[in-house]
This record gives sequence, structure tokens and C-alpha cells, in this order.
Amino acid sequence: MFNNVLNLILTQVLGKPFLLMAIIVFIGYKALKQPFQKAFSGAIKAGVGVLVLGLGSGALISNFGKLVTALNENFGINGVLLDTYSTMVACNERLGEYVSWSIYTMLIAFLINILLVLFRERTKIRAIFLTGNVMLVQTAIATYIVYRYLQLPMLGTVLIAGTVVALYWGIFSTLLYEPTKEITGADFTLGHQQMFGAFLAYKLADKIGNKEDDIEKKELPEALNLFQDNIVASSIIFLISVLIIFLSLDKSVVSEMAGGTNVVVFAIETALTLAASVYVLLSGVRLFVGELMVSFRGISERILPGAVMAVDCAAIFGFAPKSVILGFIGGVIGQIIGVIALIVFKSPILIIPGFIPLFFDNATIGVYANKKGGWKAALILCIASGMIQVFGTAVVAGLMDLNYWQGSFDWATVWLAIVAFFKFIGSLFGITPA
Amino acid sequence: MLKILCVCGNGMGTSTILKVSIKSIMNKLGVKAEVESCSAGEAMSFMPQTDIVITTPEWSKMINVPSNVALVTATNLIDAKNVETLLVDTIKEKFPEKLK
Repeated sequence: MFNNVLNLILTQVLGKPFLLMAIIVFIGYKALKQPFQKAFSGAIKAGVGVLVLGLGSGALISNFGKLVTALNENFGINGVLLDTYSTMVACNERLGEYVSWSIYTMLIAFLINILLVLFRERTKIRAIFLTGNVMLVQTAIATYIVYRYLQLPMLGTVLIAGTVVALYWGIFSTLLYEPTKEITGADFTLGHQQMFGAFLAYKLADKIGNKEDDIEKKELPEALNLFQDNIVASSIIFLISVLIIFLSLDKSVVSEMAGGTNVVVFAIETALTLAASVYVLLSGVRLFVGELMVSFRGISERILPGAVMAVDCAAIFGFAPKSVILGFIGGVIGQIIGVIALIVFKSPILIIPGFIPLFFDNATIGVYANKKGGWKAALILCIASGMIQVFGTAVVAGLMDLNYWQGSFDWATVWLAIVAFFKFIGSLFGITPA
Repeated sequence: MLKILCVCGNGMGTSTILKVSIKSIMNKLGVKAEVESCSAGEAMSFMPQTDIVITTPEWSKMINVPSNVALVTATNLIDAKNVETLLVDTIKEKFPEKLK
């Protein structure tokens, strides 16, 4: 009887991410001594959020899947979409019945992060990572990386993945503390996906350009603001990618995919459906991340009052709005060059750019680069970053055998090295990647 | 019930942190408030059920805030103290009945 109940909890309740997330949010609220009614409604919203995320990712995978299949059948190449949240979903799907492990990794990474800051005299790590959406994505992917190459049981997998992620968070967000202070004059740092890229840009910019050419002192056309609208920009980027893919495919393949629909209308429909799926996915994430962040922030404030917060990269955008647009433009140019190079050199992997890594990474890198080296340095470094995003992803997505990858700068560099490291360790033990 | 909307680029990171801080600010002030977050691209669809929009000056340019909705802008949305001062001023000016 007792065993049955335990089994029910372990496999059925804790094995279902929507229930697990709801329980964590509920415990978080109660730990912060919130009334039952608040904890309960937070838990329900978190659960619904996880399910909405599932709906969005289902739609995305089926739509993007059609393009991947067509590319594969026509040219024998693999399409890889650069999108943060789809990669999280794809990794969770690969974990299959162990999908809850990624949530445990997140909790362990948060805990280790707190410990590292608690002993900051020795560790030098000062920032608490509070960007819930990013934490969720990174721990899911890290869990799959460790599981894929080492195939350890739960405890080993989540401990290793949690430690690697916590060290990545702690080291890189602390490195950016002083640079961020210089830009914002405020007391926080970045906790995101391009922390290494931003730090590198900050260090290299003054060797490339001149600080006096600050783009923030120049005038930019208002129309460029359009690209800051996430829905419009992601639709346009998807449309360009879809058009390129359709033009490169055999006419017969495209018209067969379109059925009776006009090909141009079908291209627009495909692109906007991709944008719509990403939007649904984001709404789901937003629903439970909002609840989760209340707990993370409350708990860290209890244990570590006054610790430096590592937050979303967009928090610095207000301080350098023109660098944001400049960085994005640089990233677009870099990724276009990168994608063309992949096609010219007949790479077996084709990268399909997505809005989130393209915009948020290069905008952030642009802000740090402009501060130190002005607009020329920012533009050059963001073009380089866009290319690195494409090439690095082509390598890492090949290693991971996925049709989705994070695409962010750090995930095409630092995490490429981490993936290669685990692959090497796994091969020492003769483990076939899962 | 005062309805506050936090707006950022993707409606994910910054606006959520802002939402968390504003909820605790409103709690402290004893103001009954519903706080939502979204991206600048979708902010317009929230306007009919919003009293105060808070965002950065740049993102505010992308939203046509109706005349009956108060707009609060701050460059550093993470700075909770500054956000509190700005919000208190706005509530005092536009919605004095909400402050007891």
C-alpha cells in the first residue's frame, strides 16, 4: 500500500512537469509565508503555463518539422532552427520519461548558486541568477547533455548538470558585474545566454574602435524601432528564411507541401504560423516563470540580503537603446553571411535564424561593445557574433543530433566546449550517446 | 482594483522582475492592484484593461498609450526604489482614491 502511494507520487505526480512545477511554486509561496489562496492560485497558473508551453511547442514542432523533412528529402541536409525555447522543449522530449530531471537540475543549480555566493570570500562569485526563463532553458539543455553522454541515474545526472550550470551562471554573471555598472550606474549584472560574448566584446571593443564614436550620441531613423517589436520582427525573420528555403527547394516539392494554396500565400502562412507557435510557447513560459520568480527572489533575499541580482539582458537595453538596434543589425548581417557560407561550403546542416538569439544576444553584445569602442566596434563585433552563432551552432547541433539549438552566443562557444567535453568523457567509457 | 501593466521587449525577463517588485510595492502601500507583464509588441491588446503602463522611454515609443491610461517610464526598471517613487507620484496624481 505504502509502496503503491510512493510509486504513484514518484512516477505519476513528480513525473508530470505541470504538476511538479505547480508543487514547487506552491512550496515556494508557503516558504515565503504567503496565504494559502495565493499559493494555490500561483500553483494552478504555473501548471497551466507548462501545458500552454506544450501546446505551442507541439504546433511549432509539427510546422517546422515539415520544412525540415522537405530540406532533408530534397538535399539530404539537416535544418536547425535557432530558437531558445524550442530547444528546451526538444531536449525535454529527448529525456522522455525522465523529463522532470530538468526541473530538479534547476533547483539544484539555484541552490549551488546560493552556496557559491554565500562563500563569496573564497569563490569570488557574487551574483544570484534570477532570470527564471533562462534558468529553465539552460538547465533543461544541460540535463540532456549530461544524460546523453554519461547516462547516469537521476542523482548523478542532475548533480553534474546542476553544478556545471551553476558555475557557468556564477562565473560569467560575476565577470559582467563591473562592465554592467559602468553602463548603467546601477547595482545589478546580467544573467542570460550571452554573458561570455558580452564580456569578450567589452574587452575587445577598445582595440577595434574608439569610445568617442558612441552611437547613443547619434540620431537614428524612427522606422528602425519596428525591429524591436518581437512579433513583427520574428514574423519577418521567419518569412525571409521560409522564402529562401522554398526558393531553394524543387518547385514540385513546394507545391506539394502547399496543397491547393498559392505558393506565396503558403509561404506567408508558414512563416506567420511559426511566429504564432513561438508566441504561444512564450505565453506559456511567461505564465509559470512569473510565479517561479516570486519564489526565487523571495528565497534569495531571505538567505542573502543585498546579493547582486543577475537579471535579464533586456534590463540594460533602456540605458543604450541605439546600441540595441545597431547590435541587432550587425547580428542580422553576420548570420546572413554565416548561412550563405554554410550553403556555399555545402554544409550538411542548414541554420534557420530565429528572433530571440538574433535580437537579444547581438543587442546585448552591441551595448557592451559600443560603450568601450563606439559604433564601429559594436557593428564589427556583432557581425562576428552573428557568424559565430551560426557556425558554432552548426557544430554543436551536429554533435547533439538535434533540429533545434539555443543559438545564443555562449551556447555556440562555451557550451560547445562543454558538449565536446562530455562527449569525450562518455567516449572514454564507451557509452553510446542517447 | 488598480491595473498595472509592465512592458519590456519579449515580455519575459525584465517585465517579470518588474511585476514581482511592483506586486510587493503595492502590498506595502496597501493598494489593491492587478499586475500584468507583456512585450511591447502585444501591449496594445492590454490597454482596455490597464490603468498604468510602466516601461522604458524607448519601448514606450512603440505603444500608443490612450489618454485615460497613465504612462510611467524609467530607464532602470530593476531599481525598485525609483519605480516605487514614480508609481506613488502617478497614483497620487491620477488615482488618489486608491491610496488610503
